[in-house]
Amino acid sequence: MLNSATASRRPLGAGSTLRGVRALARADRARGWLFLLPALAAYGMFVLWPLANSVKYSFYNWDGINPAKWVGLSNYGQVFSNAALYSAIEHSGILIIFFSFLPTGLGLALAAFMRSAIAGRLGTVARVVIFLPQVVALVAAGIAWSWLLGYSGAINQIFYTPIDAVLKLVGLGAAKQAWLGSFQFALPGVGLIGVWVMLGFCTVLLTVGMGKIDPSLYEASQLDGAGPVREFFDITLPSLRQEIGVCLTVTMIAALSAFDIVYISTQGGPANQTMVPGLEIYLLAFTNREVGLASALAIVLVALVVVCIVPIQWYVNRGTQS
Amino acid sequence: MASLEFDAVSKSYDQQHWTLRDLSFTVSDGEFLVLVGPSGCGKTTALRMLAGFEDISQGEIRIGGVRINETPPRERDIAMVFQNYALYPHMTVADNIGYGLKVRGMAKAERRARVVKTAEMLGLSAELDRKPSQLSGGQRQRVAMGRAIVREPQAFLMDEPLSNLDARLRVRMRTEIARLQRDLNVTTVYVTHDQVEAMTMADRVAVMNGGLLQQLDTPQRIYAHPANLFVATFIGSPAMNILKADLSKRDDQVWCKVGDYSFPLPASTLNANPGIRAALGTTIAIGVRPNAVTVTGGQYPNGLPGEVRIAEGLGSEVLAHIEVAASRVETEAASEAPDLPLGHTDTSIIVASLKEESLIARGERVTLTFDSEHIHFFDPQTGASLRSGAATAPSSAPTLADLSTAVQAAGAERVV
Repeated sequence: MLNSATASRRPLGAGSTLRGVRALARADRARGWLFLLPALAAYGMFVLWPLANSVKYSFYNWDGINPAKWVGLSNYGQVFSNAALYSAIEHSGILIIFFSFLPTGLGLALAAFMRSAIAGRLGTVARVVIFLPQVVALVAAGIAWSWLLGYSGAINQIFYTPIDAVLKLVGLGAAKQAWLGSFQFALPGVGLIGVWVMLGFCTVLLTVGMGKIDPSLYEASQLDGAGPVREFFDITLPSLRQEIGVCLTVTMIAALSAFDIVYISTQGGPANQTMVPGLEIYLLAFTNREVGLASALAIVLVALVVVCIVPIQWYVNRGTQS
Repeated sequence: MASLEFDAVSKSYDQQHWTLRDLSFTVSDGEFLVLVGPSGCGKTTALRMLAGFEDISQGEIRIGGVRINETPPRERDIAMVFQNYALYPHMTVADNIGYGLKVRGMAKAERRARVVKTAEMLGLSAELDRKPSQLSGGQRQRVAMGRAIVREPQAFLMDEPLSNLDARLRVRMRTEIARLQRDLNVTTVYVTHDQVEAMTMADRVAVMNGGLLQQLDTPQRIYAHPANLFVATFIGSPAMNILKADLSKRDDQVWCKVGDYSFPLPASTLNANPGIRAALGTTIAIGVRPNAVTVTGGQYPNGLPGEVRIAEGLGSEVLAHIEVAASRVETEAASEAPDLPLGHTDTSIIVASLKEESLIARGERVTLTFDSEHIHFFDPQTGASLRSGAATAPSSAPTLADLSTAVQAAGAERVV
């Protein structure tokens, strides 16, 4: 039976074999998409669909209840011409220094210090302590820091009471103040909270990155005559390209989309001095009922994130490929 | 270039267990010394102490006569080739080779000239602008060599630099490294677990085991006159056959009896092994290299009868594994050999190296005889060679310390 069945079959040529392989590959691909389908559906429903709607509403004037009215690009024009909205974007740029550059730089220094100076259990304890702000809810962090930076908060009590005594002695006014209520210091104050929150994340990530660097590279550089500073710049820093890229990406997104810390600690005040796009979008959409303008600002924010992140990713990928 | 000295150097991480004990030797200016031994014998620790990556618990290391125990690695003026090459992944080949010169502040033009010259010497001229990830294993190895050479250091340290290469490339790079070392005449300490590398590259070989130096001598002398059982079984492939033998005196002649096979020892052997006379009437260990075993087909008196268990044709020779009725001596190497019938110490497997045209088959009955001029005699307790006249000693099982003492007492070899 088997022989006759085999004999009746047309012999497989090169073409039919290729067709068979292609059919199998197609079936495999289809199966792969099937596995992806649930995740794709969720992504489409909760990310792509709202994003598309935001893009759509950014061209409309809509209060969220009455029918939307097409206004073309006028919402975008308002984003860049309205001083309040524009300054919110500017504040985001300043917050990037506090949320992103400072934690990454300080994290590098801390991680390098911990690698060389703190070993064993002490190192583990140090890492946990530094990482702790990451597990604290941002709302709680915002409340705690608004107390700390208040007029009778710990910062004034510890640092400025002695200074005030000296200032009064020489006939000058007090330095003590409510830092988050100050026009000059409110934004850096919010930024300080960002440094505190992001530093743990950056330090831990960079410490892990440093742990992956082959110790023989340091040994080779030592025999080549390099000291600790050269080691840091010639071995550590180039080896952490990926980790630094991740730190900058995550913290920049956090800076540009900052909402909870600002909302809790200053609510954008005093006089919009700490207003950021995240909070502005919320206020426009749900308080002022200007959904179209809020959507336009949100789209500009997304574009800003892309503009900031793409060069970092390019830098990281270039290093990884080489 | 400079000489290197280890003076009673010891290493312990907890002051209880010693990774390295009383290591003393001198590497002359321009000499190529290979430290060889099994994993965990302390050879890499010794090298890392010389490089400055490990603290020295006791003793002193000198480079060019100057104590360097407290000198940081960057000030020792030595170069090292690492097992994984340790090339800086983000730098080009040229930058890797020239990094040491850059750190030392050499002008860019001069640096470039030296890098180019070194690259030419190593056949890397076309690769100067490439990154390590774009190179083959052999090229990476040469870049690592270039980085060491370009600085013209006082000494080269090499930590198993060929272990990541495939067998063919390893043979080629072995020759290349040896040639470069001879051309540059730089004092070199090379660490390997591969006895072939040790035997083919070294001016002198230091065999180590258990943190102790077992023997330090030229490759030829180490092969011909191993100082103890460990060296005897570690050096040489296939390993030396080690058997128990009874020594007795009869008719004014000294007889050696292995299993039922007795043979007289000539005066030349007795003179070369003065320890034999002191061991008369006792059981000792004898070692016979596979090429000193004569195999005759059939079974005859005046020989050790045996049966062929395995015959391995290697092309140029045939290795016959022959089971004989003779007690074997348990050595570290023997206990790792898979072909020994474990649990039967009254039978042994003897490996004989035969000419390629030998027609020998599994199951064949044969008779073995040994060339008594090429038999090695050892104290089975201490493991020390009887060439030295060392007395058969401790009644308890030998410890590494015992072995070391016996080996040092032996004195016939250049044992430190």
